Amino acid sequence: MKKTIFTLISMFIVINIFTVNQIELIHQEAIDLYNEKNYQTALDKFILIENEGIVNSDLYYNIGNCYFRINEIGRSILYFKKALKVRSDHQAARRNLDYALTFTQDKQDSESESVIRSFWQKAFDAVSINLLAIITLFIFAAIIFFISLMIIRFRNREKTVPIFITTILIFFFIAFLIVSFLKWQEFHKQNEAVLLSSSAIGYSGPGKDFTRVFTIHEGMIFTIERDEENWSLIKLENGLGGWINKDTFVIIKL
Amino acid sequence: MKKIIFILSLLLIGQFLFAQQIEVESYVDRTKIGISDLVKYTIEISGEKIGNISTPRLPKIENFEKLGSSTSSSSNYSIVNGKMTSKVTKSYTYTLRPLKIGNHLIPPITIKIKDRSFTTDPIHINVLKGSTQPAPPTSSSFTQQPNSSLDLSDNLFLKADISKINVFEEEPIIVEYKLYSRYDIANLAFAGDTNFEGFWKEDIYKPENISFDRETYNGIMYNVMLMRSVALFPTRSGKLNIPSVALNVDIRTQSHSFFDFGTTKRYNIKNKPTSVKVKPIPQSNKPSSYSNAVGKFKLSSNISQTQLNVGDSFTYTITISGSGNLKQFDIPKLKEVNNLRFLDPEITTDINKNKISGKKTIKYLIIAQEKGNFTLPVVPFTYFDTSSGSYKTLKTKPYQLMIGEGDLTFVASSAAQSIVSMEGSDIGFIITEGKLTSNNNYYDMFFYWLIWLILLLFIPASILYSNERTKLRGNVDYIRQKKANKILKKYMKEASALAAHDDPGFYAAAQLGLSSYLADKLKEPRGSSTEDIISKMGLRNIPAKLIEKIKTLFETCDQARFMPGGFSKESIETDFQHVKETINEITKCKF
Repeated sequence: MKKTIFTLISMFIVINIFTVNQIELIHQEAIDLYNEKNYQTALDKFILIENEGIVNSDLYYNIGNCYFRINEIGRSILYFKKALKVRSDHQAARRNLDYALTFTQDKQDSESESVIRSFWQKAFDAVSINLLAIITLFIFAAIIFFISLMIIRFRNREKTVPIFITTILIFFFIAFLIVSFLKWQEFHKQNEAVLLSSSAIGYSGPGKDFTRVFTIHEGMIFTIERDEENWSLIKLENGLGGWINKDTFVIIKL
Repeated sequence: MKKIIFILSLLLIGQFLFAQQIEVESYVDRTKIGISDLVKYTIEISGEKIGNISTPRLPKIENFEKLGSSTSSSSNYSIVNGKMTSKVTKSYTYTLRPLKIGNHLIPPITIKIKDRSFTTDPIHINVLKGSTQPAPPTSSSFTQQPNSSLDLSDNLFLKADISKINVFEEEPIIVEYKLYSRYDIANLAFAGDTNFEGFWKEDIYKPENISFDRETYNGIMYNVMLMRSVALFPTRSGKLNIPSVALNVDIRTQSHSFFDFGTTKRYNIKNKPTSVKVKPIPQSNKPSSYSNAVGKFKLSSNISQTQLNVGDSFTYTITISGSGNLKQFDIPKLKEVNNLRFLDPEITTDINKNKISGKKTIKYLIIAQEKGNFTLPVVPFTYFDTSSGSYKTLKTKPYQLMIGEGDLTFVASSAAQSIVSMEGSDIGFIITEGKLTSNNNYYDMFFYWLIWLILLLFIPASILYSNERTKLRGNVDYIRQKKANKILKKYMKEASALAAHDDPGFYAAAQLGLSSYLADKLKEPRGSSTEDIISKMGLRNIPAKLIEKIKTLFETCDQARFMPGGFSKESIETDFQHVKETINEITKCKF
C-alpha cells in the first residue's frame, strides 16, 4: 500500500517536472521569436502555454504585447487587462494598457474622478491580492500570538499592554480583511469586457430594430449588466448604456 | 390798445431780426496758385452777440492738404440814433497745400451757429505748375549767372540720390535726400513722416542744424544740404517705389529799406518719386548652407589654443565681414563634436556708419571633455553675391586639437542642462525572465486557509497548556509521578558508576532508586517497605512476571547489603545487567 502511494506521488512529480520543463522551453522559443520580430509565431507559442492552464500575469502581458505588435489592439487590451486582473500591481502591464488605450478610436479615460477616489484606486491597485493575503495572515498570526500569550503568561497578571496591542491588531485585521474581500470580489467578477470587433452599435433593446444609441470601436472597455439571449446590456464608462451583440466582445476572465 | 400791441410787436420783431443778423463768408487769398504755393482759406463769421463759437471744423478737401489754422477776431461798435450796436467778426484762416495740378474746388462748408446753419459758397482754385508768385530774389551770395532762371523750381528743389537702381532682394540701397537751394533759407522742417514700404530701413543720417555746402549741379552753383540718408534693404522683389520726402522751407525775402526787416515765405517742396527694380534671389541651385546673407562677404576664423587639457576651454571665433544685410542673416551652423562641449555663442554685430558694411563676430566658448586628438570641422557659410548674381560658399579652416589629460574632471554646469525630451513612444518590451508558474490566488487556496486553521488551534492549545500547568501546581502526587523518572535516572547513574568500580554501594543505590521510583509511581510515601511496594504493585495492572523479577531483585540487594560475603565481583556485573533490564521493563509499564 505504502509503496503504491509513493510511486504514484513520484510519478506525479516527474510528470509535473516534465511538463514544466516543456513549457519553459516553449516560452524561451516564443521569446526568441519575439526578439526576431516574428510576432505571429511568438503569439501562437504563448497561446499554447496559456492553453496549458497557466494563469500568469507576465504571460498575459507578453501575449498582449504580441497582439499589439500585430495590430490587434482590442485583444492586446484584453490581455493587458487580464494581466492586471491577476496582479493589479503589474506596472509594465498598466503602462502598456494606458499606451494601447491611446490607439483606440474612442477616448476612454476617467480623469474626472476626484482626488480621493483616484488616490484610493491607486493604492488599491498598487497592492496585489496575494500580498494582502500574506499581510492579513501575519496580522492574524500576531493576534493569535498575543491571545495565547495572555492565556499562558498573563493569566494572573495585569493585561493592559497586550490587550491594547491586540485591539490595534484586530482593528488592522478587520481593515485588511475588508480590503481583501473587495479585492477578492474584483478578482472574481466577470462583468468587464473588451470590444474585439472593429465597431459595434449599441441599441436601446436586445435587437437591431431598436433605436441606435451609440457606436463603439475596437478596444472599448465596458461593464456588462444583463444578458438576453444573444444580446448584452452594457454600460460605458461615461454612463451610456445600450444593448450590443454578444459576438462582438470578450469578457475579461481568467 | 390795439395800436400799442402792434407797435410793441413790431419792436420785438425788429429786435429779433436784428439780433439774428449773422453773416458767414468765405474767401481765399488767391484763386490762381502754383503747385508749390500755399493758399489761405478764410471763413469769416460776423454778427452781433455771436458769443462763443467753436472753431469750425474743416472737412477733408479733395486735392488739398490742410497744414495749419489761425483764428482772429475784431469788434466794431457803432451808435445809430443813440442806440449802440456792436459787431463782432471772427475769422478762421486755414493754410492749404495743393496736391495736384488742375482746376480744383473748395466745396461749400456748412457751419452751425446757435442752431442755425450757414453755408459758404464754393471757391474755384486753379493750380498751375511751378509757382505763380514771383520768386524771391536769390541770395545775394550767388552771382547771377547768365543761364540761370528765375523760376522757383529751378532755384529750390529736393533731389533723391539712389546708389543703385537694379538690385537683388535684401541688397542694400543708399538713398540720400539733398536740398538744393539758391535762396536765403530761414528755416527748414520735414513735413510729415515718410513710410518706406517694402523696405527694411536703417537711418544713416539726419541733420541737426542747417548747414550748407556749395556744389555745382548742371553748371550752376547751389547751396546743398544733405537732408536725410537711409539704407534700404528691399524685402520683396518687383518694382518698389522709393517715397518722396516733403519739406517746408521758409525763404527770407530781401529787405528793401532800412526799416524793412524782410519777411519769410513758406514753400512746400517734394522730390520726384523714383523707383528701383528688385530682382528675386534665384531659388534654383540654392545651397543648403545658405544663410540668407546677401551682399559681399569675407570669412575668417581663429582659435585661441590647439593644445590643451581636459577641462580647459578655448574660444573659436568666426568673423564675417563685408557689406550686405549683416543684421538679418543667420549665423553659420557649427557641427557639434561629441567630446567637446559648445556653450552658446556670443554674437556681436558691428555695423559701420554707412549701415551696410561691417562685421559679425561669432565667438564660441568650447570646453574639452575628453582626452584625444579631434578636428574642429569646417564651417561653411554661403551668401548670395550681388555683384556676380550667384551663390558663393566660404569655408573656415579645419583645426586640429590635441587634448591632453587634465587634473580637473569636467563638471557640467546646471545652467546648460536641459530636461530630457521624449523622442518617441512605444509599448514596453515583453518579460523574458521569471517562472512561468500560475499566479494562484492565495485566498482561493486550501493550504492558505489550513494555515489559518492551524493558527487558530493555538488558542485551545494554549488553554489546555495553561490548565495543565495549574493542575500541576496543585497536585503533589502528580508532580511526584512526573518526576519519578528523573529520580530513577539520577540513582541509576550513581549505581552504574559504583558498579564500574565493583563497589558494593551499587546495591544500595539500585535498591533506593528503584524503590523510590516505584513509590512515586504508586503514589506511596517514600521509604515504604519493599513488601508494601510489591503488594501494591499486585493491585495494579502489572504483569506478575515483572513483579516477581522486582521481588528477587530487591532480595538480592538485601542479601548483598546485609549479609557478609553476599556478593562477589562477578555477581555485581550480572546484577547490574539485571537491574537495567528490569528498569527497562518497568518504565514501559503503565501504572
